[in-house]
Amino acid sequence: MKRRLLLLLSMLLAFTLVAAACGDDAETDAGSDDSSDSDDSADSSGASAVTAAFIYIGEPGDAGWTWAHDQGRQAAEAATGATTITFENIPEGSPEFDQAVRDAIADGADVIFATSFGYIDAMEALSGEFPDVAFDHATGYKSNDTNFGNYFGRIYQARYLTGLAAGGASASGNVGYVAAFPIPEVIRGINAFTLGVRAANPDATVTVNWTSTWFDPAVEGDSAQALLDAGADVIAMHQDSTAAGEAAEAAGARWVSYNSDMSAFAPTAYVASAIWDWGPYYTSTIEKVAAGNYSGGAYWGGMDDGIVQIGSLAADVSDETRAVIDARTDEMIAGTWDPFTGPINDQDGNEVIADGVVPNDGDLLGMFYFVEGVIGEIPEG
Amino acid sequence: MRRLVLTRRESPTRGGQPIAFLFGLAFALIGGAILLTISGDPVFDVYERMWERSFGSLDTISATFNRAVPLALAGLAVSIAATMGLWNIGAEGQILFGATAATFVGRIFPDLPGPILIIAMLLAAALGGALWALGPGLARAEIGVSEIITTLMLNEVAIRLIVYLQTTKWKDPDGFGFPQITARPEQARLGIIWERAHLGVLIALALIAAFGWFMNRSVWGYELKIAGSSPKTATYAGISMRRKVVGVMALSGAVAGFAGGIELGGSAVRLSENISNGFGFAGIIVAALALMRPSGVAVVALAFSALQVGGLSIQTLGVSSAVSTILQALILFGAIGAAVLSTYQIRLVDRKVTT
Repeated sequence: MKRRLLLLLSMLLAFTLVAAACGDDAETDAGSDDSSDSDDSADSSGASAVTAAFIYIGEPGDAGWTWAHDQGRQAAEAATGATTITFENIPEGSPEFDQAVRDAIADGADVIFATSFGYIDAMEALSGEFPDVAFDHATGYKSNDTNFGNYFGRIYQARYLTGLAAGGASASGNVGYVAAFPIPEVIRGINAFTLGVRAANPDATVTVNWTSTWFDPAVEGDSAQALLDAGADVIAMHQDSTAAGEAAEAAGARWVSYNSDMSAFAPTAYVASAIWDWGPYYTSTIEKVAAGNYSGGAYWGGMDDGIVQIGSLAADVSDETRAVIDARTDEMIAGTWDPFTGPINDQDGNEVIADGVVPNDGDLLGMFYFVEGVIGEIPEG
Repeated sequence: MRRLVLTRRESPTRGGQPIAFLFGLAFALIGGAILLTISGDPVFDVYERMWERSFGSLDTISATFNRAVPLALAGLAVSIAATMGLWNIGAEGQILFGATAATFVGRIFPDLPGPILIIAMLLAAALGGALWALGPGLARAEIGVSEIITTLMLNEVAIRLIVYLQTTKWKDPDGFGFPQITARPEQARLGIIWERAHLGVLIALALIAAFGWFMNRSVWGYELKIAGSSPKTATYAGISMRRKVVGVMALSGAVAGFAGGIELGGSAVRLSENISNGFGFAGIIVAALALMRPSGVAVVALAFSALQVGGLSIQTLGVSSAVSTILQALILFGAIGAAVLSTYQIRLVDRKVTT
C-alpha cells in the first residue's frame, strides 16, 4: 500500500513538473494579459475594442449552417474591426460548451454568439453568472432583458421563393422534401415552400420524408433517393449536408438547397437556395455591445433585414418565374406581404388562416400543421 | 530470418507507470511541437495555454477535477471488468442508461427534497448501469458470447432510447417543439464543494479508494484476482466462474452508470444523448494507461481531463480544432506506447524455419 501511494505521488509530481516546465517558458507574456482583457471594452466605446466569441456545433467547411455563420463572423469582423475568436466542434449539452464560454471570457470576450439550439441551458446559466458579457443564442427561445438574447431569421420567406422556382422546375408536379425533425421551424419551412410550389404549379404536391437528423449524409441521401424512386423530380431539404443534392444530380432530377448556395455541389440539379446572411446581424449586435446597448430579447429578422435571402437561380429558371420571385421579394422587403397571408387551408382542406389575415409571430413560431398540398404526417410526441 | 516480437516482462518495469507516462508526454510534446510548427501555431504559447487553462488557477483546477470524475469512473468501470479479463466497451451506453434511470426517478419524485432525490437518482443510475451490463455478463457467462460485441452494441441502443424519449414520452412540453427532454428537478443537483468542483469529485475518490481496498482486502476481491489470472485454478478452488463473470460485469456497469448520474446532477441540466460525451470510450484509454489498476485511474483521469480541458482552450489561439484533437491523440499515443513497453519488451529473435 505504501509503495502504491508513492507511485501515485511520483506520477502526479512528475506530470506536474513536466507540465510546469513547459508552462514557465511563456509565463511572462500571457499570464498578465488575462486579467486585464475583460475590462478593455469598458474603457473604449469603439466596436474595434470588442472581442466576440463564436461557438460552432461543427466546422465551417465549405457550405452549410456553420459556414454561413462563419461568413457572417468574417463580415462583422471586417465591418467593425472587432476581434473574433471561434470554437469548433462543441457538442450540445456537454461540459465543453461551458468551458469554451469560460475560455472565451478569460480571453476577453464581450459577447458570445452560440450557434446551435442545444446550447440553450448553458447559455441561460452562464448569462446569469457573467452579467457583464452579452450572450446571444441562435435558434433559441430563452432570453432576459439585459444580457441574454436569441436570434433567428424568417427563412420561411426565402423558402417560399425557392418554392416558386421549384414549382416552375417540376414537370411531374411531384416534389420531395427531405425533412429534419418535426419541429415548428422545419414545418414552417415545408409549408412556405409548398405554398410557393403551388403558387407556381397549382396541382403540384410536396411529399415529406423525415430523417430525424441535422447532419447525416448517408441518411439524407437515402431519404432523397426514396423520394426520387417515388417519382419526385425536384428535391428540397432542411439538413446541413449536400447528400440530397448529390442524389438528385445522379438521378437527373432537380434540387433546392438550404443554408448556403450549394450550386457547386450539384450544378446540374441545382435550381435555387434559401440562404442566410448573418453578417449584418453580427455587425449590428457587436456595435450594440460596443455602445453598451445590448439588452437581450428576441430577434426574428426577415427579408427586410437581409438576414434571409434567396441564393442564385439556375440559368433555366424562366423569366416568368423570375419576375414573380422578384415581385414577391420586393413585397416582403417592403413588408406589404407575407407567404402565410390567408386564405390558407391545412392538409385536410380546413381553413386555418382566414382570407387576408397574416398570422402573428406566436402562431408562426408554434406552427404544427401541414398546409394543403403537403403529403406526409407530422409524428406527434 | 529475424523478426521483432513483443514478449511480456516477468514483472512490469519498476515504476513503469510513471515512466510510461513521462515518456509518452515527452513524445507527445515533441511530436506536438513539430505538428504546431507545421501548422504555423506558436508552440510555447499553445503549451502554456494548455497548462494555464487546466491547472493554472484554482478555478480551472476545479473544472479539471469535475471533468476527471466521469473519466475516472468510466476508467474504473473498465478496469473492474479487466480484473476478470473482460472488456467492457459499453461504459458509454451504461453512462447513458444510468443517466436515463436517474432521470426516470427524477420524473417520478419531482418534489422530493434535493439531498434525498439526488441520492435516489444516483442509486437508480448505478442500478441502471448494472442492468445495462447484466445482459452482456449473462450472455458471456452462460453461452460464451463475446462481451466486447454485446457491450459495444448496447451503446447504440442506449443512444436510440434517449432519442426516442426525447421525441415522444419525455419531450419537454415547454421546448417550443424542439426535441429535448424535460429538465431534471432543479433541486437534484450535486453541491459545490470548492470553486466549481462538485460533490462528485469526493464521491469518485471514495469509490476508487473503496474499490482498491475491496480488491486487496476482501475475499471476493481475492477470488476475483485468482479467477482473472487463472480460471482453472479458480474452478479447482471451487470459485464459480459464471457468477464471477456476471457479478463483475454488473459491478462494472454500475460504476459507469453511476457516472451518468453524477453528470446529470453535476454538470448537466437535462438528459440528452450527449451526456456521456465520449467519457465511456475515454474510460477505456484511462484504464489502459493506468495499466488496469484502480490506483492509477484517478491520476490518469486527472491528467486526461487536463489534456481535454487544455486542448479545447487552445482554439482561442487560433489553433484549429483538428490540430487540437491530433495533439491530444499524440499525447495518448505516446503514453499508451510507453505503457506497452513497460509491460512488454521488444526482442529480435530468429524465425524458426519449418519446412
